Amino acid sequence: MNRRPMRWVAAIAILGLGATLSACSGGSASPSTDSVPADAEYDGPKVEISFWNGWTGGAAPVIVPQLIEKFNAEHDNIVVNNNALEWGDIATKMPLAIKAGKGPDIAVAHGDDVATYAAQGLLLKADEVIDALGYAEDDFPTGLMAAGSYGGDQYGVPWSVTPLGLYVNTSVLTEAGLDPANIPTDAESYLAALDQLKAAGVQGEWVDGYVFTGVFEFESLLWQFGGDLFNDDVSKATFNSDAGVKALSWMVDLVDRGYSPADVAADANINALISGDTAFNWNGIWQTTNEALQSVEWTAVPVPQIGDEKAVWSSSTHWMFPANKGQDPNKSAAAATFVKWMNDNSAGWAETGELPAQNTVREDPALLETYPALEPFLGELEYAHYETSAPGITAAAALITTAVSEAVQGKKSPKDALDDAATKADQILEQNKQQYGG
Amino acid sequence: MRPGPQRTGVKARRNLTAYLFLAPFLILFTVFLLAPAFYGLWISLHVWNPLLDDHPFVGLQNYASLFTPGSLTSGDFWESMGNTGLFTVGSVPLLVLIPLGIAILLNRKVRGDSIFRAIFFAPYVLGVAVVSVLWGYLLDPQSGVVNAVLGLLGLPSDIPWTVDTPWTWISLIGVTVWWTLGLNTVILLAGLKGINQELYEAASIDGANSWRKFTNVTLPGLRPVMTFVTTVTILASANMFGQSFLLTKGGPGTETRTAIMYIADQGLAQNQMGAATAMSYLLFAFLAIVSVINFRVQRDNTK
Repeated sequence: MNRRPMRWVAAIAILGLGATLSACSGGSASPSTDSVPADAEYDGPKVEISFWNGWTGGAAPVIVPQLIEKFNAEHDNIVVNNNALEWGDIATKMPLAIKAGKGPDIAVAHGDDVATYAAQGLLLKADEVIDALGYAEDDFPTGLMAAGSYGGDQYGVPWSVTPLGLYVNTSVLTEAGLDPANIPTDAESYLAALDQLKAAGVQGEWVDGYVFTGVFEFESLLWQFGGDLFNDDVSKATFNSDAGVKALSWMVDLVDRGYSPADVAADANINALISGDTAFNWNGIWQTTNEALQSVEWTAVPVPQIGDEKAVWSSSTHWMFPANKGQDPNKSAAAATFVKWMNDNSAGWAETGELPAQNTVREDPALLETYPALEPFLGELEYAHYETSAPGITAAAALITTAVSEAVQGKKSPKDALDDAATKADQILEQNKQQYGG
Repeated sequence: MRPGPQRTGVKARRNLTAYLFLAPFLILFTVFLLAPAFYGLWISLHVWNPLLDDHPFVGLQNYASLFTPGSLTSGDFWESMGNTGLFTVGSVPLLVLIPLGIAILLNRKVRGDSIFRAIFFAPYVLGVAVVSVLWGYLLDPQSGVVNAVLGLLGLPSDIPWTVDTPWTWISLIGVTVWWTLGLNTVILLAGLKGINQELYEAASIDGANSWRKFTNVTLPGLRPVMTFVTTVTILASANMFGQSFLLTKGGPGTETRTAIMYIADQGLAQNQMGAATAMSYLLFAFLAIVSVINFRVQRDNTK
């Protein structure tokens, strides 16, 4: 899940080259149409379509080729070629490849990237094909369709969601005299448990200032206190609202009151949970497949409601239809058939520690029989919040990490840290608006 | 004596041969260094988002922004330059003096000196990712070996090596010294072996003690090698990226984010190639000035 660092590392490798290539790409992408043809089931001539995804780790490299083989066997007129690259490679290669007409016919991207691609004219609109395939908003968790839209048009078709949850080392709870069957669900019971753990010499939650744990905990709490990351038209950062300050102060307070150690290194908290040094860790659903975790007595529950309402951070991935220079409409139509089939057959995707987006698949009781660990995360989707969909948003959102890090390390007060980050984020949003329009 | 026509012909042919031998390198140098460098200068005059087709020309705006307090880039850029400066000032003296000491010890024909040489050089063959991940484990504030050992010795065992300043700087400098001192050691050792032994004998006859021999024979003899080592080390330290990126993630906040790290973030993560290249040129100007000063200071004044 370390996709941003990976994108970076890959990007460094082509430092300089990227600039050179982009100059060669010159003309704008000009597909014959700007929408995916609206076919329920592709019945045209035989086509080969290329599929790019970033599924290079975990169970995916086994599952995806199996699914594609099955799809190819069931469809005489479509051959899907699977192409798994590092997420970072996709981010750097795909825009140039699409402009040169050499990109994929179908690809998967994270929710916060869809708008960035769409704003560059790299994607076909999917509104009509979504209708033709029979998808409606309520076929997916609330808000998930919006996470793949930009400028009033739908560009992403949901594929998976990955919410945050509360991981618990139940042995640690038992040793501290707490009942593992009665895990905290609200601020009061959570703090009471932390207090009892502290009395037993255990720092119950290790608060850090890094992406994947501390930052996503902050965002969950921000929503719980009624705040939001950005305003409606994504022109202003709002994570420094009172709700944001409350959320971050609550986290810093855990450190100040000794419920958490100070100076927690990246990933140290999940490792401490595994080694029995802490009881709770706010972490993503992907940790359910963490092999080291299976050696301890653990469970996961929905994140406790600390603020005024239930809310939790979630990421999402979406199918998108690239608008390659000279894109063959038949290939896009075939790709839509592939998307529909994949979503219908996505039950096995849970093996990777992600939840299939399609409601019918998730609601099938067979899913939980095979993957009981996912149960607490299913309920969370009713109130999950997804990443903001706007072009260039990742640059502005990165400042939240800086603010959380500064506050947790005691470098700045929560309010100052968030205010400084918001000021800078506003400048980036302004710059995004100038460059991407909208 | 005037060169006759025949001599000019020989000279011209000799030049041609030299140019032919130089050509392959010159072509590579031009294509992969010179051309991109000038292209970068051109990019720095634009708002250059490589993902977009339109790259509006803005003149010196990207440079002006860096000198305008309150602009999007100025505060972060100068903070990162300051961080790079701090790291360079902290690491370069150690990376010159420690290898010099080791090289002098190894030069004394100690038993097993080649084994020691191999041991000191060994970390250098590791990649920055390996080094950073390795030390990330060792220096982990809560579960790292280093703090555990300190605790056994009765010392503070909760030092935030990778998480909070000033410890992050100590870690970054320490790890870098451990990682790269072998290279400087080997170069300085070669320099020491190149000093004429007769000079030491002559100094002994003149009654010089070891310190006088060090200051009057060893150091002057090492001057060209020292100039090279310091220049290269300064440049390497000023270009530090991987250690910060992997070991401290630039944190806490952005306090260990180096100039290269910020430039890479601007250019590659945020797609602001224009701003990033402008920053690169400023960093380049700084390094050029520092290198010139370095050459001046270490110039042989005795000739």
